[in-house]
Amino acid sequence: MSAPAAHHYTTTGLDSRKIAIWAFIGSECMLFISLISTYLIYKGRSIVGPFPHEEWTSPDGRHFEPILDIPITSASTFVLLMSSLAMVLALAAVQNKNLPKRTRGDRILGSSKLWLWMTALLGATFLGFQAYEFTSFVHEGLTLSTNLFGSSFFTLTGFHGAHVTAGVIWLVSLLAIDYRRGLGPADALNVDIAALYWHFVDVVWIVIFTVVYLIE
Amino acid sequence: MKGNFRLRQFTTFGFVALAALALAACAGEYPNTTFEPKSEFARSIDFLWDRLLLLGTIVFVLVELALIYVIFRYRRRPNDNTTPPQTHGNALLEVTWTLIPAVILIFIAIPTVRTIFETQAKVAAGALEIEVIGHQWWWEFRYPQYNIVTANEIYLPAGVTVNFKLTSADVIHSFWVPQLAGKRDVVTNRTNYIWFTPDSTLGPSVWNGFCTEYCGSSHANMRFRVFTVRPEQFESWVAGQQQPAAFGAVASAAPPEGTPTLPQSGTGAAGGAAPAIPRPPGSTVPGADSFPAPAPIGDGATTQLAAGYTFPEHLPEFAYARPNSALPRGLKFSKGLTGNAARGMQAYGTTACIGCHVITGNPMSVGIIGPNLTHFGSRSTIGAGSFPNTPAYLALWIKNTRAMKPGSIMPTMGANEYDPILKRTVTTGGLDDQQIADIVAYLMSLK
Amino acid sequence: MATTAMPTSISSDPRPSDPYSGIWGWITTVDHKRIGILYLYTALSFFIIGGLEAVVIRAQLQGPNGQLVSAEMYNQLFTMHGTTMVFLAIMPLSAAFFNFLIPLQIGARDVAFPRLNAFSYWVYLFGGIFITVPIFFQLAPDGGWFGYTPLTTRDYSPGINIDFWVIGLQILGVSSLAAAFNFITTIINLRAPGMTLMRMPMFTWMSFVVQFLVILAFPVITVALVFLLFDRFFGTQFYAVAAGADPLLWQHLFWIFGHPEVYILILPAFGLVSEVLPTFSRKPLFGYPVMVYSGILIGVLGFGVWAHHMFAVGMGPIADSIFAVSTMLIAIPTGVKIFNWIATMWQGQLRFTSAMKFAIGLVALFTIGGISGVMHSSPPADLQQTDTYFIVAHFHYVLFGGSIMGIFAGIYYYFPKMTGRMMSERLGNVHFWLNFIAMNLTFFPMHFSGMLGMPRRIYTYDSGQGWDTFNLISSIGAYMLVLATAIFVYNFFMSRRRGEIAGANPWGAGTLEWTIPSPVPEYNFAVLPTVTSRYPLWEGTEADAESARINSQEGKTSEELGIVLPYSTVKPMIVALAMVIMFCGLITTMALTFLGAAIMVVALYSWLLSPLEPEHH
Repeated sequence: MSAPAAHHYTTTGLDSRKIAIWAFIGSECMLFISLISTYLIYKGRSIVGPFPHEEWTSPDGRHFEPILDIPITSASTFVLLMSSLAMVLALAAVQNKNLPKRTRGDRILGSSKLWLWMTALLGATFLGFQAYEFTSFVHEGLTLSTNLFGSSFFTLTGFHGAHVTAGVIWLVSLLAIDYRRGLGPADALNVDIAALYWHFVDVVWIVIFTVVYLIE
Repeated sequence: MKGNFRLRQFTTFGFVALAALALAACAGEYPNTTFEPKSEFARSIDFLWDRLLLLGTIVFVLVELALIYVIFRYRRRPNDNTTPPQTHGNALLEVTWTLIPAVILIFIAIPTVRTIFETQAKVAAGALEIEVIGHQWWWEFRYPQYNIVTANEIYLPAGVTVNFKLTSADVIHSFWVPQLAGKRDVVTNRTNYIWFTPDSTLGPSVWNGFCTEYCGSSHANMRFRVFTVRPEQFESWVAGQQQPAAFGAVASAAPPEGTPTLPQSGTGAAGGAAPAIPRPPGSTVPGADSFPAPAPIGDGATTQLAAGYTFPEHLPEFAYARPNSALPRGLKFSKGLTGNAARGMQAYGTTACIGCHVITGNPMSVGIIGPNLTHFGSRSTIGAGSFPNTPAYLALWIKNTRAMKPGSIMPTMGANEYDPILKRTVTTGGLDDQQIADIVAYLMSLK
Repeated sequence: MATTAMPTSISSDPRPSDPYSGIWGWITTVDHKRIGILYLYTALSFFIIGGLEAVVIRAQLQGPNGQLVSAEMYNQLFTMHGTTMVFLAIMPLSAAFFNFLIPLQIGARDVAFPRLNAFSYWVYLFGGIFITVPIFFQLAPDGGWFGYTPLTTRDYSPGINIDFWVIGLQILGVSSLAAAFNFITTIINLRAPGMTLMRMPMFTWMSFVVQFLVILAFPVITVALVFLLFDRFFGTQFYAVAAGADPLLWQHLFWIFGHPEVYILILPAFGLVSEVLPTFSRKPLFGYPVMVYSGILIGVLGFGVWAHHMFAVGMGPIADSIFAVSTMLIAIPTGVKIFNWIATMWQGQLRFTSAMKFAIGLVALFTIGGISGVMHSSPPADLQQTDTYFIVAHFHYVLFGGSIMGIFAGIYYYFPKMTGRMMSERLGNVHFWLNFIAMNLTFFPMHFSGMLGMPRRIYTYDSGQGWDTFNLISSIGAYMLVLATAIFVYNFFMSRRRGEIAGANPWGAGTLEWTIPSPVPEYNFAVLPTVTSRYPLWEGTEADAESARINSQEGKTSEELGIVLPYSTVKPMIVALAMVIMFCGLITTMALTFLGAAIMVVALYSWLLSPLEPEHH
């Protein structure tokens, strides 16, 4: 969203975009609360397997292991957490663009392109994990329409994945601007908003990871 | 001012209109009124209602009086340009009118919570159990203690607590008999209960029941009847219902839409196990329409097939329970046909009927999608309270159910009839009017 | 009039260059006032469509065994009547006032995101068309405005009808959410110097509360609809009976949205009435802080009462009791509002203009709806009332007697500000009385037919049930409402062309929006006002009077004043159109979805990368 120019009077002194993104995040909270609540309400109500944490043998004798793979998802969670760190560094790099870079460390830390790339790639890696997880679940016999667990699991994590995807596209768009004309302190707010969104999506994942994967 | 005069005019008009409405609501015939409760459940609701109405009316009158007073007292006089006192508020006043509603609400909340827990308490042991299964768009009723399955009509002994167990076969419905109890939704994949005790002082009476949760095309046509009867009548009814179908009788049905040509054969239909209550004189006189009462079972009825008590039809005081839905335009039936129950049974057994209906005693008729027809002839309505159960209506019903009841799952059976759901005319396999008349005769013989 | 700072500039003839002309100007506008007027016209059109649907319903029920329309058509009509009135009429009528008024009331030049604002409108328009058109082909949604599952799942509603509803509501949700983010930001961030929160006009306050309700309630219905959409299109099992789904999931999600939605519909009307009553009593609003807090409290409590729509579903005595008490609690802040309005008029100098009559009408009629609301806050009593015509009577007293009366008050009151001309008071008087009488004639008898056992949503009923007279009266009332609305429409268009010239402050009102010319210049305020009180024109200081004096001067263009205004742009409209095309693809061919998505992405980037307004020097 391009802004009302900074010279306009505002009551709080903050840029309007900053307020809007917080309102947006508040609204998104309700979205994910609804999705997560549905998952919890339907937990244990599925008539047929596969199930998240329990083994299941179908009436025709096929055996299903518990379907959730906690070690792999822990790895992808770690990747997403690291992307938030990279996002923090990217924002700092944009804000401090005009500070002198003396050491090699300064130059690495001050490279907005590097950290934006890092964030986007870590996000994409997370999506790769999710794609792998979804395909393997489908191979193991769990699809959107298998049971209530399948429906609520894929919809919840799919919605989160879609949010990560949107975030990656946002980051790539910022990178494109960075390559075209360079992001400077004047753009810090745009990066800041993207960062708020990115961190929010991260925090949501922590909740999902806890509720869906860790709690049996 | 002009507005002033009009206001007065309106106020007068308003009060007159209100009074007229209130009067209209108290006089006249209101067979489904919630203001005349006939069970302890409905009475406890009515008690709450009375209190709500009283407190609500007081608040209403006070607020509107204050408003009217302000309107008249403080309207601007012409050429009066003084600035009124610029008050911004008054803490004491505002606290007062915050607290007063709170106090009023306490007088509502306490009996409310008490009634909630009373009416939703666990039912006492020894209650009559009835399973209610909602279907699009009819009601299945089961009496598990007596092994009876019926549809769209409930018999209740007055003074005996009845516990309804509510489940749905498809979408959500809601079970309501206004004078006997509040509603309870019939929710898919859930089991609900509602219980009450019809007043023991009730004489044999009939109550209209409704589906009150929107459930699709024929939601309006998903009605039922509740008959509260004396315990011994109930026992007789139970005994009759527990028998297999009174089938084998060679009876004929009246020609639908014809003149009443069939004589009442007086040989069958002796009383059930318990003494049947004598039919009041008016019972066989059709008051509302010219269709003949269904013929009772014919000559061949064997002794064990005697029908139990059924609620007498055509009592003028229960005219409200006799459906009067309009017939679809263009649906006609040949005049002068005479049905043969034996032929009808054969026709019934070779058509789609058996795929959806159970008739205990007819080994081929085992479908469970549609209503159980075992004692079909003893029921007073067809189509879940949409039409009276007379041969004339039944013939039209079988011929084209979907024209008579929008969305009905029962297919259009009559040859050359237009099926409004499949959007085509029935050609192969359709029944001609004689076959339908035979089936009507067969079904009506199932007392 | 004894106003302290009565602006005097009244131009003698229509403005030489009407800024509101030219179709292209309207399509590309990002001016909040013009968008507000677009909302007003569109929403009034849908109000008339929804009203005509209701008339057919009443004609069908005029007597027993009505055969005007088929059962299927009737079910489509009542579904679309509810959906139209809630989502396409009352909400957007409120939005018309949000758009037009909020920036004027807080002393801003526009909303925070003018192009997003245009986007909201276009999404609403296209979404409204999408969901309305099917009724002309007998393909309209027929699952009720509440769309209870499993009836609305593919198993029980195989046709395309429900698809229109699910997708249409999804589209309209986007519009409401985008608008809500915009207005929250606007109100927080674009208030003029001195316009503290506790000086904001009550309409802006109530709108502020409503925007929070929107951003918190709409995501819930979005999720419920996504489940239904996925069930119907992609085979998920959220509401599938055979998979063991719980139908109450939908009901809870729907009503967690649905009850705050009721306050989304009524609070803006409360706000409008809180503007009208003080002006025509010539007194400040009584108990302003309490009015603010009660509005907030209604909003907060509104999230804790949703299950009172479900007292018959068998939630058990504990849940029933909790929701009964929380529902009763809402009566307290609502009652406070009624009493404070009456106290506002107390000792005032009441002038019975059309706007004032409608405002008083709201107080009188909403009281009835509020009292009947308390009657079914008691679950056992509700077991007799729910899903009968008693409920229909109740919520029409709330939504027609409340929201619509308030909105009419707002239209009569703000018409001069929007158009520069006055509406005919004579016709307004006829409109009010006809509307008031017809409204009571239509809905009051429904209390009786309901308590006498008439269920809702039935397309036919037998005679001899004791309902005939009440239904006949209701139907006659409905026909009279058509006449009343026709008079209003005539008055609206006639006054727009030939009404008396209004001037900046025709009513002698006290709030900020009346310090600027009518119609409002595109830049709103020549100088940003400095606000020192709640009623700058009544009780303001020199500073207020000074900015009012400057701002009431007409005739300067934005260039002359050196005010930078945003570019007009068609891009938000294209994004909105592409989004609706994308959704259309779901019910036609996936190719359309991809085409729509592609156009949307391109147009969105083009929008985001183009500057909002000329560079400032």
